[in-house]
Amino acid sequence: MYVKYTLNDLRRNRGVNSSLLVVLVLSAFLMASGAMVMERTLGSVNALFDQAKPPHFLQMHKGAYDEAALDAFATAHPEIDSWLIEDMVGYDSAAIAWVRPGTTESGTLSASLIDNLFVTQNTAFDFLLDADSTMAYPADGETFVPVAYQQRFGLQAGDELRIRTDVGIEDFVIGGFVRDSQMASSLSSATRFLVSNADFERLRTTGGSSEIIVEYRLADPAQTSNFQAAYESDQSLPKNGQAVTGDMIRIINAISDGLVAIALMFVSLLLISIALLNVRFVIRGTLQDEVHQIGAMKAIGLPNSTISGLYLSKYSAMTLIACVIGGGLAVIASQALTSGMQASYATAPVTALTFLAPIAALVLVFLVVIAICRRVLRIINRIEVVSALVHGSTLNEHQTARRAKRLARRVRRSAFASYGGGDLGRRISLVDLRTEVGQWMLLPLVFMLAVVLITLPTNLLTTFQSPKFVTYMGAPESDLRIDLQFSDDLEQVREEAETALATDSRLAQVRRFANELVETRGIEGWESMRVEVGDYSGDTIQYLRGGPPSTGEIALSVLNADRFGVDVDEAFTVRRDGSEMPLTVSGIYQDITSGGQTAKMSGDATGVVTGYIYYATTSAGQDPTAIATNYGDQFPAMTVVPMGEYVSQTLSYVTNAFFNAAVLAIVFAIGVAALITTLNLTLRIAREKRRSGILSALGFSGSELAAQLRFKAILAVVIGTVLGVVVAATLGEALVGAAISLAGLGISSLAFIPNPLLVYVAYPLLLIAVGTISAVAVSSRLRRGDTSAWLRA
Amino acid sequence: MTLSEAPTTSPALVTTALEKSYHSTEPPTRVLNGIDLAVRQGEFLAVMGASGSGKSTLLYCISGMDRPTAGNVRLGDLDLTELSDRDMSRTRLTKMGFIFQQAYFLSNFNLRDNILLPALKAQPKERAEVEARVDAMLQRFGIAHVADHGITQVSGGQLQRASICRALATKPAVLFADEPTGALNSSMTLDVLDALTGVHRDGTTIMMVTHDPACAARADRVVYLRDGLLVDELDLGTWHQADTSRRDGELLSWLRDHDF
Ligand SMILES: Nc1ncnc2c1ncn2[C@@H]1O[C@H](COP(=O)(O)OP(=O)(O)O)[C@@H](O)[C@H]1O
Ligand SMILES: [Mg+2]
Repeated sequence: MYVKYTLNDLRRNRGVNSSLLVVLVLSAFLMASGAMVMERTLGSVNALFDQAKPPHFLQMHKGAYDEAALDAFATAHPEIDSWLIEDMVGYDSAAIAWVRPGTTESGTLSASLIDNLFVTQNTAFDFLLDADSTMAYPADGETFVPVAYQQRFGLQAGDELRIRTDVGIEDFVIGGFVRDSQMASSLSSATRFLVSNADFERLRTTGGSSEIIVEYRLADPAQTSNFQAAYESDQSLPKNGQAVTGDMIRIINAISDGLVAIALMFVSLLLISIALLNVRFVIRGTLQDEVHQIGAMKAIGLPNSTISGLYLSKYSAMTLIACVIGGGLAVIASQALTSGMQASYATAPVTALTFLAPIAALVLVFLVVIAICRRVLRIINRIEVVSALVHGSTLNEHQTARRAKRLARRVRRSAFASYGGGDLGRRISLVDLRTEVGQWMLLPLVFMLAVVLITLPTNLLTTFQSPKFVTYMGAPESDLRIDLQFSDDLEQVREEAETALATDSRLAQVRRFANELVETRGIEGWESMRVEVGDYSGDTIQYLRGGPPSTGEIALSVLNADRFGVDVDEAFTVRRDGSEMPLTVSGIYQDITSGGQTAKMSGDATGVVTGYIYYATTSAGQDPTAIATNYGDQFPAMTVVPMGEYVSQTLSYVTNAFFNAAVLAIVFAIGVAALITTLNLTLRIAREKRRSGILSALGFSGSELAAQLRFKAILAVVIGTVLGVVVAATLGEALVGAAISLAGLGISSLAFIPNPLLVYVAYPLLLIAVGTISAVAVSSRLRRGDTSAWLRA
Repeated sequence: MTLSEAPTTSPALVTTALEKSYHSTEPPTRVLNGIDLAVRQGEFLAVMGASGSGKSTLLYCISGMDRPTAGNVRLGDLDLTELSDRDMSRTRLTKMGFIFQQAYFLSNFNLRDNILLPALKAQPKERAEVEARVDAMLQRFGIAHVADHGITQVSGGQLQRASICRALATKPAVLFADEPTGALNSSMTLDVLDALTGVHRDGTTIMMVTHDPACAARADRVVYLRDGLLVDELDLGTWHQADTSRRDGELLSWLRDHDF
């Protein structure tokens, strides 16, 4: 009986059932894909980490260093499992070109802002792995290029790589591509090329900048932050470059690709709530339609459980089918979604979890949908035979009476009391909307969720892409960023550059900040801390609390303030050139650069300077890109980039992920909005047959009835959309902000930098258009058909 | 009670070779088979026939609620079958009134609003005039005291009288009634019939579908519908003043002839 009923019903209500099925399939699909992408991402990252053995702590350094001190430090710290010093030779991106032999295709890597470091394969840990996840060992004359460059510049094995050195061109053949676990993320400002030992020794003598990374693996990785403190408190150790901990590497890797998974899960959660709302509406509608049948079944003595079983079997079957189809689609989709990731990381081993994760997600979807169905179907228990058969009502006598009384109270006042001759159809539609609020809830809810769905990823994207995002990078808003890193002739280059900058009429204002290493009291005694020293008067960076540092003051990044447990107006002592300086914390700002651990002081640098950063604003009408190119050519030691470019390149992995999430969200939101509008309005038409019949008999034309339906639908859609914009801007921002601050990036209070035209105008209009088109399509059905059929229904 | 003038002879409503088939069934159901009918100005016509003979369908087709499959319908000088949906709706609004067996009212509005609705639509700018007319009618049909009630809070007879008010509020040329007393008990039936008779005396043309002889007895003329064709007619007009029991006898025997 169940099977027969189910088949019959599926045939009879094809429209309603198939759109419900589509929503269920979508929910199942997204949930399963989210679970799979999540599992694959974590699996990939973990697999890469297992094979590549990245360091738990590393410190970059340029120039001379004390090797004996490193040895002594290692001996004094038994918690070190193993350690190494990796020698590297750096070349500017502009000095590296590629050529495809036998073709005219060629190019340079100059669009890349990060340092290109040539290294040999490590022997103990921190391995660079090729496409097969094995350690790559280039032959002489061969180089292995980072996967990120392969993707960005479309490089292929066999291409030639040409490095312009002081003594001429060095030619390499690209032997393959390597994944760099430690620098896979873009927030690290360098990437590594692998060459043979012989080639490396030659490159060392041809004029590239000489750098090292000191890397440590610890017996207990949980001790990393203590270890970092110990390292930084030892004054004799090299540390003029960035320090990175394993946690940071992991977080950043997880963020870039985990975000897609999180976005998918977020989308699927929203979709599931929509699907559930929908299931509820459809079941209630079906019960209302079939109340006579239910009454009859009750009258012949069928128990409630049998009757609900009839309906439940149908919805279980549909949900099961949806889960199977959705799961199948998810397998295909997640392969596409994770293929890019597999290239940057390692292929995750297939484990039981690989299958369990999506299956668990699907089972969850199934159980939740069925639970809701059961809940809604409880109405059947309350249906009374007499009410059902005589009045065709799912309500019992008491409920009917209560409802009638409520309605009577409401209609007492004339609906036309203030009618002055406007569109009568609209006036009655408004009255209907008001009295049947419950029936019209679904559309605004769905559109509200849809707006949230498309706005949040886009807002994140535009926030991270905005040049104003520098305020989260501890930098002032400006047009150009000039980075002068440590080298032996640093001071000489600085003087030349400053003369050029000062006399350049294209620049309106130039601020210089020196990167100085000072010491501060940590858990293990004095440890070193990077401070940007310069002029912070006026409008420079934005402070979360407090303000800019004046003399005798210091401003700290959020993570540093947390780490040292200090807040604004509290005392903070640093040691500079061997003498202690008692300072007061003037302000706290957000910064995601340098692991989020920075500080700012005003005045001139007096201690160890590791480099300079300049922020310049251009005079009106000047093109920052042209100026950047100009200075880049003139001072090869400087990295000069327009601010927008700096932000976008530094964050490119993250923003790519946001972009994918945003596109995905828009596609799904539009699909779901159109689908639900169509489904819901189709249901409304069925439910309002009698109303349409009456109005048609009284002299309302089919197009007038269609216009009324459109009016109601569009009003509901507009209300939902406007609500959605408000919710996304308030609640949504708070929610996303909280998630971001939990990620430990150094942002504790994220304010969206939205593209107002996009999220406040284009997106809402897009959704309203989708709703309108769906409403127009559905309502056109009202224009044909005999009135008698509506009245007889 | 004074009588109104005798019905004029000019036809208000004419159908020629009217056919209607429903294509929702397989094979299509042919319900009207070529109906030729003329209703005179001011006439009270009753259409009788067995249940399922197509009486309601005839009414729906004449009033343009359903599109006839063939044939045409004229209202005065107007060929209704030529009109667009919009013009047909307009015609229904301004020139026709309807009373159904079930009280087709909108539950989100009170009784008075339901009655006002078509009249306001016809004359949106003259709200005061429309309201005055409707309020007078509510008074006349004895339902003024329930005017602001919800439609589930009044009796069937009151609802049906409200139907008449709604139908008349637009001052239609023709009043259509489909089994107006079908759902009522006998005392309510009498109320409604008296109301209809009164409306007829005021000069309104009425076409009423019924299978209740007591209703048909109030008409000037009765036509009989069978298998989608009009098979007979009976003139009752002459009996009304003279002898109502004689009239009822004539009608009953006529109906017996048709196996009613
Ligand atoms: N929409 C429809 N589709 C198919 N058949 C219909 C439809 N409406 C009415 N009918 C059929 O047309 C015939 C006449 O119906 P109706 O006009 O309501 O009869 P009456 O009013 O005389 O009882 C009936 O047999 C009915 O089943
Ligand atoms: Mg009928």
